[in-house]
Amino acid sequence: MIFRIFRKELLDTLRDRRTLMTMLVIPILVFPITLNVFMEISTSFQENASAKTMKIGVLGDINKRYIKQLEQIPAAVGPKKIIYFKDSLTLANAVTSDKIQLGLLTPKNEKELSAAQQTITLTWLLDASEVGRAERAELYAASLKANAETERLQKLGLRPEQIRPLVVNTVNCASDKKMVGQLAGGFLPYIFIAFGFIGCMYPAIDLFTGEKERGTIETLLTVPVLRWKILIGKMLVVVSSGMLAASCALLGLFVSIEFLDLADNKELLEVIHSILTPYFILSMFALLLPLVIFFAGLMIPIAIYAKSFKEAQSIITPLNIVVVLPSMVGFFPGVALDMNTVFIPVINVVLATKELIAGTLSWTYFLSVFGIMCSLAFVAIAVSYKQFGKEANILN
Amino acid sequence: MIKATHLRKEFELSKQQRKELNTKDTLALAVNDISFTCEPGRVYSLLGPNGAGKTTTLRMLATILTPTSGSIEIAGIDAVKYPQEARKHIGFLTGSTGLYARLTPLEIIDYFADLYQVNTQDKEARKKYLFDLLNMNDFLHKRIGKLSTGMKQKVSICRTMIHDPSVVIFDEPTSGLDVITAENIIKLIRSCKDQGKTVIFSSHIMSEVDLLCDDLAIVHKGQLKYNDTMSAFRANMVANNLTEEFIRIVQMPTPQA
Repeated sequence: MIFRIFRKELLDTLRDRRTLMTMLVIPILVFPITLNVFMEISTSFQENASAKTMKIGVLGDINKRYIKQLEQIPAAVGPKKIIYFKDSLTLANAVTSDKIQLGLLTPKNEKELSAAQQTITLTWLLDASEVGRAERAELYAASLKANAETERLQKLGLRPEQIRPLVVNTVNCASDKKMVGQLAGGFLPYIFIAFGFIGCMYPAIDLFTGEKERGTIETLLTVPVLRWKILIGKMLVVVSSGMLAASCALLGLFVSIEFLDLADNKELLEVIHSILTPYFILSMFALLLPLVIFFAGLMIPIAIYAKSFKEAQSIITPLNIVVVLPSMVGFFPGVALDMNTVFIPVINVVLATKELIAGTLSWTYFLSVFGIMCSLAFVAIAVSYKQFGKEANILN
Repeated sequence: MIKATHLRKEFELSKQQRKELNTKDTLALAVNDISFTCEPGRVYSLLGPNGAGKTTTLRMLATILTPTSGSIEIAGIDAVKYPQEARKHIGFLTGSTGLYARLTPLEIIDYFADLYQVNTQDKEARKKYLFDLLNMNDFLHKRIGKLSTGMKQKVSICRTMIHDPSVVIFDEPTSGLDVITAENIIKLIRSCKDQGKTVIFSSHIMSEVDLLCDDLAIVHKGQLKYNDTMSAFRANMVANNLTEEFIRIVQMPTPQA
């Protein structure tokens, strides 16, 4: 009988456009759309910035050494137009008023400093709030610096190695999987938890408050089916919706990476493939299932208590923030799964998923989180059952 | 048969409800010591003004609410002790009954037939009989949300009768319906009576009661003010017409058996 109720409620739920949007369409589209928009915007900004002709203001004339060198930098580094100024104040004002994009100040005694083999300081004037200007200035500066160094070393009759006694490099020993785990580990559980919650929300309100509001609950309570069976049948639909929404988000991510080529970094793709294994997916769902039951158990008593769709929504929506905010803990570095965090619902699942992605989750912690969330899910079901049994709650 | 004995129902008042009702009482008495019997093949009517306790009484009979005290017997079953068993014999219809707007009539009828555990053979036979009787075949596959009030009422009737209940409970069944649509309900009540079913219905409209009922109970402020046959009510009438007589009884200070 539970399955019969589940079947009917599922059919009813799947015909609700609002639920379908939150359960299937939005989770599937969120990754492809977000990634696509992000990549498009980022590429377009980069292309625009590098293709833009920079007006560079300089003091003096073409005969000055560094201005000459600047003129000779190839256009491939970035197109430019040199504009000559007579004083530094006018040049600075031109940068501020955006008449020119970069200003280059060279010391007046440039020749003397060079002859005495002293350090010459070049100064860029720029508006750093504008995209691509600081980057372009760095590119030009690198070219000028390389020329100056080569010239100076030639004059001294030295090879570059002779004045570079020590080079310090940093090698990252963490596996790529761990690095991605640290980066994506905060983001992925947040997305799954948020969609797991949102996926439960509309069916919970519709199947409980909606029944009261539409006047269908009375007839349902006169059928010879035990109330706990009615509750479980409905709850299964709420939980399925939450799981389906989270799964659709995962599917959307998979489609974005595999078919839409939105992540075009080969190394990153390899790491993502090594993470998205059947073991990872099964383990993640094992953590997600009791959490979604817990969510359903939080929402159902509210939906049973509320007299209207609006009232239920007004209570559950703030709950969304209370539940989803802790799941952002995954973004903070240094917060790890330990004997304290393992007992905090939502946070324990986020941290466990983060470690699962990084490949560092121990069986002890996995089973602890699973066990704690199952216990909470059981308590949530018991609270829902108690509320569903109250005459005052089920009839308006 | 329905047999209600010394039925009493108290509701706990929440803080907000106490504030709204301007009372310090923690309990509200909805039904106070009501006893009556409805016989098979007869139509029993609960008549009373709004808030008299009719709906609460019928909800207790339908096992939706549990009485605070007293007993209910439905088709020979103790409905307080064995509500699941009693429900198999009850058909319940209210004027405010809603239907699942996103399902079709056929899906709703199948769903309730399954919940009442009607076997496949009986289910198909009952469906055919009721669909033909109520002229429902043309809109069986349309979604409820797209049906007219009259069509929805037919679906509600069909849902109520799909398991062939021996006891049928109607709570203000014609409330909010136009005359033509209400006629379906009147026909259903008469048909139930002809089939020897026990029928109880509540109303606050005297003319409707006069049209249908064999036995009459008048309820006011949770108490039974009158309980006899409709013919006895007509014969012993003191006022000029049925409505005035109903008002006279309601306003009487002490209950009459």
